Amino acid sequence: MPSGARVAGGFLGGMLLVLLPMLLALGDPYWLDIVTFAYLMAGLAGAWNIIGGFGGQFSLGHGVFFGIGAYLTAILYTEAGWSPWITLAPAMLLAVLVALLISWPTFRLRGPFFAIATMAFNQVAFVLVNYLDWPTNGPRGILIPFRAGLANMIFVQRWRYAVLMFGFLALVTGIAVLLRRSRLGYALLALREDEDAARAAGINVLAAKLEGMAISAALTAVGGALFAMYLRYVDPPTVFSLSDIGVRFALLSLIGGIGTVAGPILGAALVVPVENWLRSTLTGLWPGADLVVLGAAMVLAALFLKHGIVGAAADLMGRRTRR
Amino acid sequence: MSALLEVTALSAGYGQVPVLHDIGLTVKRGEIVAVIGANGAGKTTLLLAICGHLRLTAGRVVFDGAEISREPAHRTVSRGLVMVPEGGRLFPFMTVQENLELGAFHGRAREQRRARLEEMLDLFPVMAERRRQLAGRLSGGERQMVAIARAMMSLPSLLLLDEPSLGLSPLMVERVFDLVRSLAERRGISVLLVEQNVGEALEMSSRGYVMERGRITKSGEGSVLRGDADVQRAYMGL
Repeated sequence: MPSGARVAGGFLGGMLLVLLPMLLALGDPYWLDIVTFAYLMAGLAGAWNIIGGFGGQFSLGHGVFFGIGAYLTAILYTEAGWSPWITLAPAMLLAVLVALLISWPTFRLRGPFFAIATMAFNQVAFVLVNYLDWPTNGPRGILIPFRAGLANMIFVQRWRYAVLMFGFLALVTGIAVLLRRSRLGYALLALREDEDAARAAGINVLAAKLEGMAISAALTAVGGALFAMYLRYVDPPTVFSLSDIGVRFALLSLIGGIGTVAGPILGAALVVPVENWLRSTLTGLWPGADLVVLGAAMVLAALFLKHGIVGAAADLMGRRTRR
Repeated sequence: MSALLEVTALSAGYGQVPVLHDIGLTVKRGEIVAVIGANGAGKTTLLLAICGHLRLTAGRVVFDGAEISREPAHRTVSRGLVMVPEGGRLFPFMTVQENLELGAFHGRAREQRRARLEEMLDLFPVMAERRRQLAGRLSGGERQMVAIARAMMSLPSLLLLDEPSLGLSPLMVERVFDLVRSLAERRGISVLLVEQNVGEALEMSSRGYVMERGRITKSGEGSVLRGDADVQRAYMGL
């Protein structure tokens, strides 16, 4: 295991590297927006990666926690006038509560059955939020009025959003780094590799999964809250979209390198800009073509990059150093 | 000698399917006890039931003076009752050292982790050379050694070994059995051994039990069972 100082150095160096695109894009609102969104998605993928990657519990229901963060913040801000900074606390708390309720039964399922069951929860949440007039305002969604100010987490200068999302990404990554070296981190890695062997080694498998899920859900809710204040609009199809939200977190981690600290960041860094570029260049020619190209790229990644970008890079490095 | 493990009238199964019926068995301190039987006799199930991986439908398990019949597996480990599953079941994408460290997960073992790790690496020089290698790259015999060492990291007083010789070359089988014998003799660790390698298992065990279709049909001293005509015919091909 590398020493604490080396890990801290790696974390700080990595974060500086991640900061670079923002500095480069400062003068260009189009690119700044892409970088901002990439930070947010990288943070969310990193939050998913804690239980999905380290713990190997392939949740496709993280849209529920994301939705809790987005909706609770939007509602408390518009209806009760709470600062979005304050609403983060109840959002995290509710997400953890719901996460434990969902996990209790679903953690008994293994592999694909767990993924399918959690995906079903995402769809249930969609239907519920869409149906209820109170408090979620049904299919009309909630529009958040533009009242700029730090306390309202609404900014005139777009770069401030980029800083905000970067802060979120740094927080998630920092927690992942600490977790990876902690007792819980090792328990999650062990149960991912072999649940029965982990139990035989004296690990309380269910407790470790629940703790990992709680941390992951709380961070995902924070990401949802930031998303709501960034877009200043939440509605059911946006928040509970499987392709853009629920499955997306897992996908970015997979492409970057599942179960690694850097994987989700690399995945978002690659996919978010490419996606935007494809959308802007291909949509005019042939609407929907961007999704076809992106889908094909992901199939190729699944076939040839089994351990993501991180895995491919480690293979290359390993070949050079070991031989 | 007092009994370290005492199993009385134990029954267990998977869901609605009963597998074990009315099992009685004891292991004394420092003793190696073998459970032999054909495939599907319920030997592995018995180990799983004893250490809490499987819920009992009836009966009692008393370990070191405490009843553990309803305790989950992760808790029995911290009491010193540790199972080495069939095939070793290492964590393949972790290094040998990480595998060993994970054996010392509960409080008491965690405190002694470092000293214990060095001790294990001393005991297995091959392992020391490979401590940074992924466990998945080890050979079958090495894997079994690491699995036993991982269990030793949990500070066990009783090891439950499930077919440690399965799939190993005769030379490796001998080394694994030598290791088990030395753990019992030098460190006073009790061993409950499930084996298909009946002759050798009984030779190093002080006592043995024969299982057939979920019941214990015969028991006795290792040397007596080895000479038993039924046992020789059914399990040793003599």
